[in-house]
Amino acid sequence: MSLPKIARLPSVRLLSSIHQQQQQLLLPSVPPLTGPKRAVSQGEYRRPGQPKVDKFPWQPINFGFSKGFEGVKKHLALLKKEFSDRWVGPQGKPILEHMLEQNQVLWEFRGPESLEQWTVSSDQEIGGQSEVHLKLGKNHNTCLLYGTLSSTPPRDGETRYSGYCTMRSKQPLASFDRKKHYDWSSFNTLHLRVRGDGRPWMINIATETYFSHQKDDIYNYFLYTRGGPYWQDVKIPFSKFFLTHRGRIQDDQHPLWLDKVNTIGFTLGDKADGPFQLEIDFVGVCKDYAHTEEFAYEVYKRNPEI
Amino acid sequence: MNPYILATLLFGLGLGTTITFASSHWLLAWMGLEMNTLAIIPLMAQHHHPRAVEATTKYFLTQATAAAMLLFASTTNAWLTGQWDIQQMTHPLPIALITLALALKIGLAPLHSWLPEVLQGLDLTTGLILSTWQKLAPFALLLQIQPANSSILIILGLMSTLVGGWGGLNQTQLRKILAYSSIAHLGWMILVLQFSPSLTLLTLLTYIVMTFSTFLVFKLNKSTSINMLATSWAKAPALTALAPLVLLSLGGLPPLTGFMPKWLILQELAKQDLAPTATVAAMSALLSLYFYLRLSYAMTLTMSPNNLTGTTPWRLQSSQLTLPLAVSTLATLLLLPLTPATVALITL
Repeated sequence: MSLPKIARLPSVRLLSSIHQQQQQLLLPSVPPLTGPKRAVSQGEYRRPGQPKVDKFPWQPINFGFSKGFEGVKKHLALLKKEFSDRWVGPQGKPILEHMLEQNQVLWEFRGPESLEQWTVSSDQEIGGQSEVHLKLGKNHNTCLLYGTLSSTPPRDGETRYSGYCTMRSKQPLASFDRKKHYDWSSFNTLHLRVRGDGRPWMINIATETYFSHQKDDIYNYFLYTRGGPYWQDVKIPFSKFFLTHRGRIQDDQHPLWLDKVNTIGFTLGDKADGPFQLEIDFVGVCKDYAHTEEFAYEVYKRNPEI
Repeated sequence: MNPYILATLLFGLGLGTTITFASSHWLLAWMGLEMNTLAIIPLMAQHHHPRAVEATTKYFLTQATAAAMLLFASTTNAWLTGQWDIQQMTHPLPIALITLALALKIGLAPLHSWLPEVLQGLDLTTGLILSTWQKLAPFALLLQIQPANSSILIILGLMSTLVGGWGGLNQTQLRKILAYSSIAHLGWMILVLQFSPSLTLLTLLTYIVMTFSTFLVFKLNKSTSINMLATSWAKAPALTALAPLVLLSLGGLPPLTGFMPKWLILQELAKQDLAPTATVAAMSALLSLYFYLRLSYAMTLTMSPNNLTGTTPWRLQSSQLTLPLAVSTLATLLLLPLTPATVALITL
């Protein structure tokens, strides 16, 4: 019969450090007003993935006069353009162009300013370890979305799955930061020219919604890339897009309405750790006259009477 | 939709309008208007598409606000004059408030912002009911109030014709174009309300007939934007030939029916020494005419690129009933020579 293990007594050095801490607590020194305590601005717990806050919220804002002046000039120019566009035609294009157009290139990556229209994010926001970067390809002809996927979930006790990277277009804005929408009602197919690495990507289209609980409503479809050195022309009719909310496919499906589209995005979340890359030449819409399907999915009657 | 529920809702729609027509007490009239609103709400949201639900919500909020304003104004009138009779309104404050409430109900400028968005979210049939049937009950009330020397009606009317003209200029969606056309026509109706209510009724009835034809034309082509009208020449060539005439009738060109109300209204305004008003209204009708012409240009006068070159495709019989469309198109195009008889019939 062995004696049960007794917890060891803490060493003397540890005891002295505890004494020092107690002394500090008893006589707190007033810190200089350099930055907020984390407790003030973020609450006691900082989620993994959130940046450390060591400034007051107003400190990063630039209150300079020139910035305000530039902002006013920019917005007034946009406002003037809106007024003058009305004289030309709907959305600034003459009606003949609306009637004749069958293809429209929405995003092509021909210069650094085209990257400003896109936002990349990965699960680092929730504390994961995937990395994603967006840069212009060679000769400024394409954009390259590359990085590393890592499906290790963050250790915050509540996240079970992780490992995603995404690129999403920014919401188009009219003057004074009002939301503007894309009107793709004269088209019925999404046309992309991509060169992937064989991974299955997902295309997300977000439309304008009204209620706040619809803000995560996204229409998705898959983009299976081939890994080869050859470019891949992908044409996906808009009737194939299905509705999801926060990633979960909804039971009540309806077709995607094209008259108020906000953003488009590409997501990778295929649970395969490792590097990835996707090269995009352009993203456009086109009108396929042979495609007459309105919606690809049937909605079965739920709770049928027996 | 379950046919029983559909029948109940349509019956409710009819009953609401009838109650408002038959009422001489403000509360009964308000009840009829509320029944109309409530009966059309499930019809609007029946497709469960988020845009339809958004349109339904916006419609409900605006109509409820208008009904509340109406109730408040009639209560104020009861307090000030001691009676609830619709035709005995004498105090100017409730009259003005009721005019504004009914203007919000039908979508007159400057209370028009909800109409294009709501119509855009609906399918064409429900949009048709909204544009035609739902205007009858508020107009019944407006015709009975007859404010005597009110400049508010002139302002509402002129603003509506201008907003309806300008707003519809840059639209490619057909339902929004029809919404702005509705606003413009309602403006014409309101302009002449205080001088000759029978002309308002005439304009309302011709507008209903013309809009009915237009909606049915679009429904037959299953088109909701200008580009979708492009293939109608192959599917229904006779309709493609007549549709521009229907649109020009909406625009008010002689010798089509739509000219009749505009001509009589301008004549009445000139008789009342309101020549500048008449001029502004006539000029704003030109703006509306521009977008009607644009629609007929896209539909009939040009051939948009499509894959139907060569012989016309197999023209299958449409599943939609064409008799209502035929009758209303006839009425839209050919009623101008009957102007004296029509005016005599509708004299209030």
